[in-house]
Amino acid sequence: MSKSIVSTAVVGALLALGTHAAFAAPDWSKVPKRDIQVFHPSVTPMEWIAKKSDHSGTAGMRKGESCIGCHEEKGNLNFNMKRMVDKELEPKAAPKTMNFPVSVQAAYDAANLYIRLSFKAPAGGVDKGDKDNEVKATLMFGDAKVPQGIQVGCWASCHSDARTMPGSDDKKTKYTKEGAYELVQWASKGNKVSDGSVTTERKMSGGTTGAKVEGGKSGDGYTLTFTRKNPGEGKTVPFGFAVHADNSSGRFHHVSMGYTLGIGAEGDIKVTKQ
Amino acid sequence: MADNKISGFLAMMRRPSAKYSLLSLLVVGFFSGIFFWGGFNTGMEATNTMEFCIGCHEMRDNVYVEYKKTIHYANRTGVRAGCSDCHVPKDWTHKMIRKIQASKEVWGKITGIIDTPEKFEAHRLQMAEKEWARMKANDSRECRNCHSYDAMDVEKQKLRGSKMHKIGIDEKKTCIDCHKGIAHTKPKGMKEDEDE
Repeated sequence: MSKSIVSTAVVGALLALGTHAAFAAPDWSKVPKRDIQVFHPSVTPMEWIAKKSDHSGTAGMRKGESCIGCHEEKGNLNFNMKRMVDKELEPKAAPKTMNFPVSVQAAYDAANLYIRLSFKAPAGGVDKGDKDNEVKATLMFGDAKVPQGIQVGCWASCHSDARTMPGSDDKKTKYTKEGAYELVQWASKGNKVSDGSVTTERKMSGGTTGAKVEGGKSGDGYTLTFTRKNPGEGKTVPFGFAVHADNSSGRFHHVSMGYTLGIGAEGDIKVTKQ
Repeated sequence: MADNKISGFLAMMRRPSAKYSLLSLLVVGFFSGIFFWGGFNTGMEATNTMEFCIGCHEMRDNVYVEYKKTIHYANRTGVRAGCSDCHVPKDWTHKMIRKIQASKEVWGKITGIIDTPEKFEAHRLQMAEKEWARMKANDSRECRNCHSYDAMDVEKQKLRGSKMHKIGIDEKKTCIDCHKGIAHTKPKGMKEDEDE
């Protein structure tokens, strides 16, 4: 009897250790922080981005330039913000805070990729489409087939006919014309984690990242540690993220431009090996 | 009868003057020339002023309002580019050609082709396309009265402009290729450039 108790305890301890090893939090004090500005994008879907008469940077994109190559300068955004809040690009109304910084840290080990986001979610939104969740944070990881994924991050899934865009079908979600994204979302109500995907439509479940999220609101800010299966050492992964603040939904998020995660490889964000 | 009058007048014009000295004729001719030439040019320059351009409500209530919000109207350096700086050539020959073409606009004014905001909007694309085509054809000559790639230090520009200007220089683009709508609202229904 005592033998079986001992062996159960040993097996239990080993399992606990194994689980702990699989989700061992990185030593964040040794992982560099990068402040990335997320911003209210107004109505600038991929169709707008790719049309030269709307976006003169289209000429640069055709030459392989990335969004951050032109629009991120000295840690800030250099958009024409006056144009972004103008009625032509934002027919509803722009939020009080057009952009804010999110501190991003990224680390990996053999099993997992860890991403930690820290931010203060601003009030003063103009859309309260999500009554349940005060805040949501979403990460998207594109595969190699996503059109211009390396350059534009999740923008390739943002289209003019998707829900909350002016005159669009309320049931049409974001989608990509080719390739696929993995989508991981944390929602404040009940700390709900969704492990989904974006292909011809967005699905909030059925994902294969094995995502977990720790953390939540602390003080006046949020610190969220996302843990997901490591996509593979030596890979450069298109990456983007968004924060839905102040109960907003759909396009009324603050979104990052596209970055690449370098997992033991080149990337805009070098992922630290643990 | 009329033929006789014309031939008589021509004969008189050809005949040397017996009454006035050559010096008098030259002096009178010289000062008359200055008077008429100066008067002509002063009159033409008057049509180049902002006051003249916004003298009609068609310009004052539409494009002028838009232009006033742009960097060509007010900026940190205090240099202003007025209507004619962009829309009328500086050199005399091209200026004359442009003025003659523009005289057609008087007919537009009389017939009221753009005399309401709605009519203006309906014609905005057509008018803009015409002006863009003129600027494209002359390598954005009026822009280049002030701006040039030679005088441009792209390294001192913000990243966004710097990268795009490097592409523009490499591909021998002209200003208006990218800078449409820099001083006025872009029209709806713009066509994409043919090279795209």
